[in-house]
Amino acid sequence: MTTFMALAPLIAVVSGALVVMLSEAFMKRANREPLGYLAAIALLASGFFTVRSWNQDLSYFGGRLLLDRFALLLIAVFIVIGLIVILMSLEYAARQGLNLGELCALVLLAVAGLMIMVSSTDWLVVFLGLELLSVASYALSGLKKTDRASSEAAAKYFLMGSFAGAFFVFGLALVYGTSGSLDFSALLAGGGSGAGLAPAGAVGLGLVLAALGFKIAIAPFHMWAPDVYEGAPTPVTVFLTVGPKAAGLAVLFRLLVPLLRNEPFSAVFVPALTLIAALTMFAGNLAALRQKSVKRMLAYSSIAHSGYLLVAVIAGDGPSLVFYLIVYLFMNAGAFSILAAMSRKGVEYAALDDLAGLGRRYPGLAACLSVFLLSLAGFPPTAGFLAKFYVFSGAVREGHVALAVAAVLASLISVAYYLKVIVVMYMKDEEGAVVIESENPALYLVIFLCLFGTVQLGLWPGNLLTIIRQAFSSVL
Amino acid sequence: MNAMTANLPLASIVTFLPLAGALLLVFYRRESVKAIRTAALAISLLTFACSLLLFFGFDGKAGTPEFVEHAPWLGRGLDYHVGVDGISLFLVLLAAFLTPLALLSSRRAINDRVKEFSFFMLVLETAMIGVFVSLNLFLFYVFWEAMLIPMYFLIGLWGGRRRVYATTKFVLFTMFGSLLMLVGIFVLYAAYHRVTGNFSLTIADLAGTALSPALQTWLFLAFGLAFAIKVPLFPLHTWLPDAHVEAPTAGSVLLAAVLLKMGAYGFLRLGIPLFPQAAASFAPALSILAIVGIVYGGLMALVQKDMKSLVAYSSVSHMGLIMLAVFSLNFEATEGALYQMLNHGLSTGALFLCVGILYERTHTRLIKDYGGAAARMPVFAAIFLVSVLSSAGLPGLNGFVGEILCFFGIFASNKLLAAIGVSTVILSAAYLLWLFRRVMHGPLKDPDGLLRDVDRRELATLVPIVVLIVLMGLFPGTILRKMDASVSRYIESIRTTAPAALSWKVPAPPNEAIPLAGETER
Repeated sequence: MTTFMALAPLIAVVSGALVVMLSEAFMKRANREPLGYLAAIALLASGFFTVRSWNQDLSYFGGRLLLDRFALLLIAVFIVIGLIVILMSLEYAARQGLNLGELCALVLLAVAGLMIMVSSTDWLVVFLGLELLSVASYALSGLKKTDRASSEAAAKYFLMGSFAGAFFVFGLALVYGTSGSLDFSALLAGGGSGAGLAPAGAVGLGLVLAALGFKIAIAPFHMWAPDVYEGAPTPVTVFLTVGPKAAGLAVLFRLLVPLLRNEPFSAVFVPALTLIAALTMFAGNLAALRQKSVKRMLAYSSIAHSGYLLVAVIAGDGPSLVFYLIVYLFMNAGAFSILAAMSRKGVEYAALDDLAGLGRRYPGLAACLSVFLLSLAGFPPTAGFLAKFYVFSGAVREGHVALAVAAVLASLISVAYYLKVIVVMYMKDEEGAVVIESENPALYLVIFLCLFGTVQLGLWPGNLLTIIRQAFSSVL
Repeated sequence: MNAMTANLPLASIVTFLPLAGALLLVFYRRESVKAIRTAALAISLLTFACSLLLFFGFDGKAGTPEFVEHAPWLGRGLDYHVGVDGISLFLVLLAAFLTPLALLSSRRAINDRVKEFSFFMLVLETAMIGVFVSLNLFLFYVFWEAMLIPMYFLIGLWGGRRRVYATTKFVLFTMFGSLLMLVGIFVLYAAYHRVTGNFSLTIADLAGTALSPALQTWLFLAFGLAFAIKVPLFPLHTWLPDAHVEAPTAGSVLLAAVLLKMGAYGFLRLGIPLFPQAAASFAPALSILAIVGIVYGGLMALVQKDMKSLVAYSSVSHMGLIMLAVFSLNFEATEGALYQMLNHGLSTGALFLCVGILYERTHTRLIKDYGGAAARMPVFAAIFLVSVLSSAGLPGLNGFVGEILCFFGIFASNKLLAAIGVSTVILSAAYLLWLFRRVMHGPLKDPDGLLRDVDRRELATLVPIVVLIVLMGLFPGTILRKMDASVSRYIESIRTTAPAALSWKVPAPPNEAIPLAGETER
């Protein structure tokens, strides 16, 4: 029974997805909100099981599914992501003509995929999770069936994603062929001497990394991201910018950190990853600078944040990585939920000019968005600053000073475009088109939670940091 | 410290009282402008009262920080650690003194979004004081960066026509420097960890870390760039005239009076004590930049058409003198620099307030639009004249004491630099008195009869500064005595950690202040 508990968080989510999907078929069109609550309950149940499994190191399927503290921590993060997305969608779905039942079921499935990805050290299981996540996300990004941008996003995501999936499997085949195992640790045991990994295996590893890079949206595999993030419905965008990124980075972290500590590998991987991280930060930030749409700008900024997160991976600094991910979840979801709050039936106001005068007409919303943007830009005393502080100082401690300099210069660029939004909201005299008609308590709850997270984690992250550090004292 | 203040966490109270007040303002109704203004003013006055308790409770004989509070915060060296010593005490006082005056001065000028304005002013006060009281590098940086946010909004929301450009430039410029300083902090943090095995960002701990000369040089450059931009040192000053001209009066006052001091304070608190050898080797170069700034700022001020940009360039020039004194690395010059920082805060603050008063009447800041105003505004003319003379360093007023101390110190370290630096006295007398003559004397230019003399509220903003200008000119001992021990400790620490630090100067100066008139009791 205790080993079966390892499956409990997963079962809660998946059965929730199935129940939501089935009951959706029998529900009247008019009010689908109960489905959202159902999905939220499934996530909360999963959260309950996650917290109960803490410190128990449960495993199942002969260790194929391993709930160590690192995995549990990330699973908890995914559950929060799921909850935020569902709360955001309750009103949004009705307003934009989305099917809430489908959305909730798909989000739950995608969350299940994320959970699987992080709770295994077996390549094949990781791939299963990845595919579950991918299929659900393709459908999610195309949920606005009548909207061309949304369909385009789904098609692009599907095409690119399939290629990435194929790369992953092909890479896996090569790794398996050369090392004879599908386990991370076995690969390392064979590769520890450096000679163990045959050229074919190295190519395989490269392909796997590329596929993961695609999921995380790091340069040069980020081209799909802006279109998909912009075209997808806003709550889905929140999911896509945080969820796959978190899972992909976690897998990357588990895979790379032992490699980076190995002499022959680190000589190749450290410079390569440093270059990729710097490229990602600058590509994301420079492109964001030129955007006219806030949503697209945030999409590019999300790419830049992948770059910062990669810095933590390169430094092998797990606690900072997870802390940054959690902080990014709150500030990013907060910024997008303001955009969701401004949307009206069939229209999404996401252009920069739409925000003009928001500071006067909706001072509360504008103030919240300002806090989120300042946090994204890394101003103290918000959490964004503390997250950057931990990540970059970890990099410097490991000797990556040049990377840290590149990272702070990239953040300077980002300050320019985040501030541009604030300028439009507060310092322009003309009026934007945004009129907020209906109250949306669930969304306001999300905004409040994100605000709370963004401020509180910047000032008193005490317990969270302790938990995160605990989680890493056991792994690696 | 007497019994009453001993148990109070005064340093924290002074720092966070304005922030608490700002959060209180959030709950006021937007329409009750009057109540908001009164509340903001009351809070800032209360803060000033608390800072006076700091002043009277401050002993200053040991030269170590007093009112120290140390508590764990984020762990791993990122502690909450505050306190004041002779170097920071008066800058805290300056910030606490000028904020209520700036708030009072904006009663008429700011009518739009008063709630937000008061909110940001109070947040700015917390950030400014926080920078000065921080004894932990992390805390220092948090306040240092956080300060940009309220200032960004103050210039951007209530500024002039080109406010968006000016405020963006201000933020990006200062952030460029401070982000590199952040990397410097990381390196220092890692170096301390490597040497001792512990995590600490307490400034006093870091000052003793053994760093290789190359590392010191890099770190000094990283920190120095941030501070030099803030000062601003020539040629990094270009953000300053823009920001000053576009900022609302209250913003200009705090920007000139307090924010500019942070660069010099950063050198005194961090740049020089943490990296004394590097500081000594860069001192000649930085002194030359300071000299260029003195002359360039003065010449630019001479040709300005706009009163505000004239005062802004005069700041470049005066801050150049302060930096020159700081880099003389001896007792008199350092004390003079500190004193001059306070003087500049007061006199430039007063000048900006005066320009603001003129602007509120006529809505122009161009010098050519004025003339003979003294006839219509006799009281104002007197106050304006005192501010001008204080800025120009007239004996008997505060500016003279600071300048003479600075020059004693600079002369002891390098006679040539002192000789060129003295030009600031001539230049500032020239552009300021010429400004005064053109605006206040000559044929009256007031076709619409707009020039009224100052009312009671405006007097209330200006008179405290003028009184202080005179008092600081007559009784410098009261202030200097509280600085002495901290400054000599600072000089001592440079000399012991880096004996070579002072080698570029010819004679080692005596370690005692030159007695000044009116302070025989020292």
